[in-house]
Amino acid sequence: MNAILEVKGLTKNYKDFQAVKGIDLEVEEGEIFGFLGPNGAGKSTTINMLSTIIKPSTGYAKVNGFDNVKEKNKVRASIGLIFQESTLDEKLTANENLMLHCKFYGIEKSIREERIVEVLEIVDLVDKRKNIVETFSGGMKRRLEIARGLLHYPRVLFLDEPTVGLDPQTRAHIWEYILKLKEKAGITIFLTTHYMDEAEICDRVAVMDHGKLIALNTPEALKAKVGGDIIEITAEDLPKAKEIIESSYNLEVQKKDDKLSFQVEKGSEFLVQLVREMDIAITSVNLRRPTLNDVFLHLTGREIREESVSKKDMMRKSMRGPH
Amino acid sequence: MEGILAVWQRDVIKFFRNRAQLIGSFAMPFMFLILFGSGMSGAMSSMLGGGGESGALAEFDFVQFMFPGIIGMTVFNTAIFSALSVVQDKEFGYMREILVSPMSRVSVAIGKVLGGSTVAVFQGLMMLIFVPFIGVSITISMVLQLIPIMFLVAFALSSIGLLIATALKTAQGFQMVIQVLIFPMLFLSGALFPLNGLPTWMDILVKINPLTYSVDMFKKIILEPEKMDPALRQAMGLDIEVFNHVITFTDEIIAVSILSIVFVVLATIRFNKAEA
Ligand SMILES: Nc1ncnc2c1ncn2[C@@H]1O[C@H](COP(=O)(O)OP(=O)(O)OP(=O)(O)O)[C@@H](O)[C@H]1O
Ligand SMILES: [Mg+2]
Repeated sequence: MNAILEVKGLTKNYKDFQAVKGIDLEVEEGEIFGFLGPNGAGKSTTINMLSTIIKPSTGYAKVNGFDNVKEKNKVRASIGLIFQESTLDEKLTANENLMLHCKFYGIEKSIREERIVEVLEIVDLVDKRKNIVETFSGGMKRRLEIARGLLHYPRVLFLDEPTVGLDPQTRAHIWEYILKLKEKAGITIFLTTHYMDEAEICDRVAVMDHGKLIALNTPEALKAKVGGDIIEITAEDLPKAKEIIESSYNLEVQKKDDKLSFQVEKGSEFLVQLVREMDIAITSVNLRRPTLNDVFLHLTGREIREESVSKKDMMRKSMRGPH
Repeated sequence: MEGILAVWQRDVIKFFRNRAQLIGSFAMPFMFLILFGSGMSGAMSSMLGGGGESGALAEFDFVQFMFPGIIGMTVFNTAIFSALSVVQDKEFGYMREILVSPMSRVSVAIGKVLGGSTVAVFQGLMMLIFVPFIGVSITISMVLQLIPIMFLVAFALSSIGLLIATALKTAQGFQMVIQVLIFPMLFLSGALFPLNGLPTWMDILVKINPLTYSVDMFKKIILEPEKMDPALRQAMGLDIEVFNHVITFTDEIIAVSILSIVFVVLATIRFNKAEA
């Protein structure tokens, strides 16, 4: 067992409000670990505590064997950090931003040049090196931030919502780079997101809600917990249909917009039976495997805001490789 | 050490890259020197020389008198406003990049103060562009004396700026606080009018104002009071007395140095405590 990140009983209080309510977890070296939760769940607060930006109220965290409070500077040298909001200096060029970072982190003069080219290659920005960051697109800025976060060869890279506000194509690209990093550098990646499809790429996912971890496992295991298949139907008389399904099959049915959704063990067999037995006209059916959104729904009765770009899209993009 | 240099370098690069600010920085001094100064000049000379008093006082040239004060004003403003970058860095997020690095906070604070001081010295030197138009004679040796003194004064004011910046979250708030602070200090420093015949309350304020001694150092370098007729020196308010002791250049250097040290220490302590 080789935990690069160790967290015990971590809490954060803001006056009379507890943003993080006691978190325990361990992340292994080389893992991509995802923090999934809706707005205000406490993801950023947690990541800020792990990366020494804010002090925990109680509990402790250790990164790379160093204590986050007592050995701040050693932790800081071991991590790379990409914040939810941009922290580039937009009035400077990409190269100047990277060069300053080298100096802040005490990277030796003789290897700076080499490192800068290396990280710019990873994110495909070598030819933009001398440009002022102000002229970059949102996606390019994000990529530059990732490059900068890698300059000092961190053991753990923290990414707070790395793709928020980016278009689907750019998001797919960013993911390409993240996966490439894991492959190449064996770096541990800790990220937060509220995109389901992104969480699915992670090796393990912690689901966070109201400052607490309500589940922690591989995406597959989490989905297995929901069990079986998800069926969604639309019908002519929805409330009546809901009542019938609930009473005759003893199922828990959720009404969402103009459709009903519920989960069953064997989806296709059940559907056949349902269509045959139901005396209300069913207008459409949809059978699918559970997603992490269903996991969240299952655990909390609410949905996380679901966003575009399916996992499949992303995989397809990343297989095409850099262009 | 490398970190201090990097923080310093960033502010200096950005100063020279910001053309609009560079050009805009001439606006205030220009207005004071040429519009206000020339206007006052006529009025002053008719008042002073008009009474048939020939000789020494007839030489009182208000624009020339004001010139060291304008350099002072430029240095003060640039130095104290340099800390605006700290507030902006907080607002735009770059401060986090700095604060999560393993570099010590003390280095960051010192780098910021040095950056602000350097920029203020450049800005102050740029005011020498006005020299040919106002008829003061500036020698190389004066410039060589001016540079370290400007730096010292700028260091004190950058530290004061940083101390204020650590307490504030928005650029707007910072600008307000600085305006409210710097204007009275400037008016009570002798930068814009001679310090003589003041009412007692004002005289007290002038003498506890550190800018008074800062401006006076610039005057001592540029106006060369030791070569002046005592009556003219008196009229220009160049003999500052505190408890019957005529303040010397050395006194002033010591006073401003102490001020610099106190404020840079305070600012560094405050900055060290701030969360990212
Ligand atoms: N400085 C602060 N003072 C008071 N409350 C705060 C502070 N920072 C965060 N909070 C509160 O803590 C809670 C968690 O915030 P946090 O930013 O960690 O959420 P998040 O999971 O990152 O959400 P998002 O997806 O919107 O980024 C929120 O309710 C927020 O209002
Ligand atoms: Mg957040």
